[in-house]
Amino acid sequence: MNSGSDTQESVGEYPVKKRFFNDDLDTNREDPDEHLDNQDSLLFQTPIQIGSNESSNNSNEVKELQELILGLSDADASKLLANTDPKADKSTRLSDAVGVYFEQQLSIRKPKSNSPKTFETSWQFPWKKNRKRTELDQSESSTKKPRSSVEWRRFIGSVQVTALATRPTAKPLKYGGKLTIKQSSPEVSSKLYYSNGRKRASMANFVRLIDIELGREVGRVPEEIATILFPFIGSNELNFEITMIYCNNKRLSVGDSFIVQLDCFLTSVVFDSSLNGRVASNTSSPEKRGFSQNVIESEEELRQKGRRLAFLSLFDRVKLQYMLSENEGPTENISDTTEVIDLDEDDVDAYETDVSDFIKPTQIQEDVLNVNQLKSLYKATLSMESLKNLPETDPSPDVFKLTLRRFQKQGLTWLLRREREFDESTSLSSEEDVDGDMMNPLWKQFRWPKDLSWEAQKKRPADLKSKNDDEFFYANLHTGEFSQTKPILKSLVKGGILADEMGLGKTISMLSLVLSVPHDKKYNCSEQMGESNTPSIDLHMSDYVKPYAYKTTLVVVPMSLLSQWQHEFEKSVSSPDIHCEIYYGGNNGNVRKLLTQVKTPPSVLLTTYGTVQHEWSRLTNKTSGQIEPDDMGLFSVEYFRVVLDEGHTIRNRNTKTSKSLMDLSSARRWILTGTPIINRLDDLYSMVKFLRLEPWSQVGYWKTFVSEPFEKKNYKSAFDVVSSILDPVLLRRTKQMRDVDGNRLVELPPKEIIVEKVSFNRHEDALYKYFLNRAESSVKEGLDRGDLLKKYSTILVHILRLRQVCCHADLLGSQDENDEDLAGNKMLRESFNASKAVSNEYETKALVSDEEVQEIVGRLYEKYPDQNKFRDLECSICTSEPIDPVTQTVFTECGHPFCEMCILEYVRFQSERQQEIKCPNCRSKFDPKRLTTVKESSEGGLSLVLYDTGSKSSKITSLMKSLKRLQDACPGEQVMVFSQFSSYLDIMEKELCASFSKAELIVYKFDGRLSMKERSRVLEEFAEKDLSKLKVLLLSLKAGGVGLNLTCASKAYMMDPWWSPSLEDQAIDRIHRIGQVNNVKVIRFIMEHSIEEKMLRIQERKRTLGEAVDADEDERRKRRIEEIRMLFE
Amino acid sequence: MASLPKRIIKETERLVSDPVPGITAIPHEENLRYFQVTVEGPEQSPYENGVFNLELFLPDDYPMEAPKVRFLTKIYHPNIDRLGRICLDVLKNNWSPALQIRTVLLSVQALLASPNPNDPLANDVAEEWLQNEDNAIAKAREWTNMYASKQ
Repeated sequence: MNSGSDTQESVGEYPVKKRFFNDDLDTNREDPDEHLDNQDSLLFQTPIQIGSNESSNNSNEVKELQELILGLSDADASKLLANTDPKADKSTRLSDAVGVYFEQQLSIRKPKSNSPKTFETSWQFPWKKNRKRTELDQSESSTKKPRSSVEWRRFIGSVQVTALATRPTAKPLKYGGKLTIKQSSPEVSSKLYYSNGRKRASMANFVRLIDIELGREVGRVPEEIATILFPFIGSNELNFEITMIYCNNKRLSVGDSFIVQLDCFLTSVVFDSSLNGRVASNTSSPEKRGFSQNVIESEEELRQKGRRLAFLSLFDRVKLQYMLSENEGPTENISDTTEVIDLDEDDVDAYETDVSDFIKPTQIQEDVLNVNQLKSLYKATLSMESLKNLPETDPSPDVFKLTLRRFQKQGLTWLLRREREFDESTSLSSEEDVDGDMMNPLWKQFRWPKDLSWEAQKKRPADLKSKNDDEFFYANLHTGEFSQTKPILKSLVKGGILADEMGLGKTISMLSLVLSVPHDKKYNCSEQMGESNTPSIDLHMSDYVKPYAYKTTLVVVPMSLLSQWQHEFEKSVSSPDIHCEIYYGGNNGNVRKLLTQVKTPPSVLLTTYGTVQHEWSRLTNKTSGQIEPDDMGLFSVEYFRVVLDEGHTIRNRNTKTSKSLMDLSSARRWILTGTPIINRLDDLYSMVKFLRLEPWSQVGYWKTFVSEPFEKKNYKSAFDVVSSILDPVLLRRTKQMRDVDGNRLVELPPKEIIVEKVSFNRHEDALYKYFLNRAESSVKEGLDRGDLLKKYSTILVHILRLRQVCCHADLLGSQDENDEDLAGNKMLRESFNASKAVSNEYETKALVSDEEVQEIVGRLYEKYPDQNKFRDLECSICTSEPIDPVTQTVFTECGHPFCEMCILEYVRFQSERQQEIKCPNCRSKFDPKRLTTVKESSEGGLSLVLYDTGSKSSKITSLMKSLKRLQDACPGEQVMVFSQFSSYLDIMEKELCASFSKAELIVYKFDGRLSMKERSRVLEEFAEKDLSKLKVLLLSLKAGGVGLNLTCASKAYMMDPWWSPSLEDQAIDRIHRIGQVNNVKVIRFIMEHSIEEKMLRIQERKRTLGEAVDADEDERRKRRIEEIRMLFE
Repeated sequence: MASLPKRIIKETERLVSDPVPGITAIPHEENLRYFQVTVEGPEQSPYENGVFNLELFLPDDYPMEAPKVRFLTKIYHPNIDRLGRICLDVLKNNWSPALQIRTVLLSVQALLASPNPNDPLANDVAEEWLQNEDNAIAKAREWTNMYASKQ
């Protein structure tokens, strides 16, 4: 309504204006903010603004109005008139004005009305009002609230500003003359931003410089200064003192520039802690959780943002830098360099560019970390020294049977501290030790600069004496919060992440905690319904309060570890009162009854991720009707403690599994994982969320302070935050770490990994070449046409085939359970026929005709008329007698029997040395293609058939040989054999059973297809020592690669390589871990001149690239394509 | 030290439990693939009444590869050189994995009974043997008495 009035001078209002500013000036001198508490003086502001729009001939109307309303001041009168329609006739206007007057009287008492008189408070810093009552109706904002009064202020810096004159002056402005700022129009706030949050108007339009002596506007400031000043006009958080220092000593015309000094002071108001708490309390309300991302920024938030940015810009302008650490950084020189900055006209441009930097002040000393440094940075976050000096805690032998290692005892101390169990007990530690006095990373420390303000330089110290003389203050520039005391990062969460490296006994450490503190000691049964947290899951039963299962720890584990946990529990528990139950599959009764209504509930309830997810899905999908607490299963109670083993399972927060676990209620929360980061930094988020680490568990916070800086390659900043989030709650020790005495935490016996190259037999060679040709042409096509990405999955199938041929031809057509990219690819079936085609072709070329076979077999039958004689033949090579099982017998043409393995080894040995292949017994030459073997029918009848050398996979043959040798030498050994193909395990099982007698070797198989019970039975039996037999455990890399403890074995065979070395390392760590006493030997079978050799090279590459912190999905794909290229080079 | 194949253990056991007359083979305490061997000189040979010390070593590839055998006692024999190396077909080309330690040592004993100067290893001895057999035999006897006499 007052557009265009800014430059228009109205003589008639001059005295009124003057009066206002004099008022302002007066209050400013005594207490710069007193006027803000003075409603009257604020009221004056408005009429002046509006009055300037009116012509001076309104003065008689003013008089008439004053006659109508006695005691009405000139200003009030003209203000009232201003609100009337100027085009209407005089009497209408007068009566309108009277009406408005009385309405206003009401509106002062009735805050909700939107009468014009109330707006001056509503535009001013509504967030201040909302601080304590964000949930209140916004329209209440006009209510007058007590403002914090300014107790003191302190100088933070000065800027010289080149201002533009907006009004001509009669004479030059006085050097040293005082100016002030004010907002030119009260309604701007709503116009400042577009709905999308972008700034719409220039703030410079709204910030005016007022000469105090003249009492009128003299100029405006540049936009970048205006953006700083604007949010603080009328606020008492910051004081600005403006002094005229240069105007070329002449009268100003519109557009002339002059220079002022802007002294900035922080006042005690910003440090008011009752106000500072607002950000946290505002955002941590559960309703807002998770939505902060999508909500469109409200006007309030926009103002907040403006204020934050203003703080950032201001701090940058006055060169106030935060201190890098408490003892270093720009300390002294700050106060020296905070000399008034000279600002020439030409510098304006330079400043313009600076503005863009304000927004990210943390980048001032940015140093970009590469991805690998990031990894080491992560390691560096663990303060080794403090770990070494953790006191040891010995669990009481009354509850815990096993003896802990030293670092495990230290770990127990840490675990107990994290649960605040030391608060009441002994002198062991105070809480400070746990959290340290780590400063909240969002806060920065600043040193108060020397007072260089105009006033101070004119030596008026008494005036400026502040009530505090601290050296430092602290500010959170992200939220615009300030504090005089150091903001200590304190997590109230009970629980944390135990991230010891694989094989350091996380399970045992956790059990020692569980058994030491099996139930909540502070909890009193009688107040049953007392302190239970509100259930966070909305299951149509908001009124149901979960009972507190204060005696139970819920342990969630991958299915394969269920029995191991139970086993470890039973091994370590020494008190008969403490027991453990499994909640899985058929064995899931009523959790609530079991845990809260039974006299001695299980101290540990074991369950699987699958079970939790399943129950959760059932509950969340239930749309109708009330859910009975009894139906809620695992979700029906609040646990004393929840432990997630292999906690990285929840790393993708969008999975059902992850979501379901977030909804478990518990007083204490723990995560065990050896690999807290699998692929990306955000993997940590889910854990933080599970632990309910406020405020980081809110997506918005995490995104702003971790993900976004990380994406912007601002690794340092992201990592500072991550490490300060995790430091207090995460404990990680590695095998390489040393204790106080310099000993390794764990001395493991040496580990030897041997790559055994195996060459293809003719059959495999033909098959491999066939598939290689097809794969190569497909890749070439893709590369030539540039659509390798599109053919990605096709090529992966090709590669899979090649890998399968390397293992066993019968694998063709089966799937690779590790390779999710391939699920359901149609090509898989088609390939199977192809393999048949190849083998047919091969067989027609067979050198031994049926007639010849008949002849050979006939002669043998003559030699052994009684076929049962086959059962007690001796192999002269290994001197085994009889050859067992009988199907292992292989006859030379001359009729001498040998074990299959022995004669094949002999043939290989002789041909390798290019020596004649003669029967070891009679020295007559024989043709290895004309060997015959014994076939046993299901009824036990024996017959002779041609021995087919091509039917055996070369790898399995190598494995057999190695096992045979081992069985020969140390029959009591236990051996693991890993493959990623479940069907390969089946084949091996069959062949091993056929090649070894039951007295020599027992085969066990452990893969995803086993039920829980079968799993534990298999592991139990395998672990049992039997000195007469070799025990072989066939494991699928996927099901057996994690968690299992198989230290009873010290040898492992890896049948096939996997793309990433980490998976294989994990598998090897099943035997190379605490408890292993023997040297570990691992043999990896790799087919010579095959894709497997290239896979080894890719594994090497991955090791050097540091796969653990791969950037993102795209990057991962890109790398895989690169790898494919490597494969076919 | 790689573990010992069952066959070697079996052979060793049998050498102890069912020794070959005139031959002993005792595995070394620290290396079970190394044997200290004694072979008695066959009757009616120039080596009669002599006891010859030999060493026998089973290589990693045994039984695919022949054992290594060497005389430690000095012996005057056309197929055994001054270093004690033996020229015997079953220790070379004619080795077969069906052969064993005991059969090899029997072959060695047989070699003492019937020297073969036509396929010599020690050329001077072989020459003597071919030109003046009696002299050679006498010398063999003398050496046996000198170096291999039972004590």
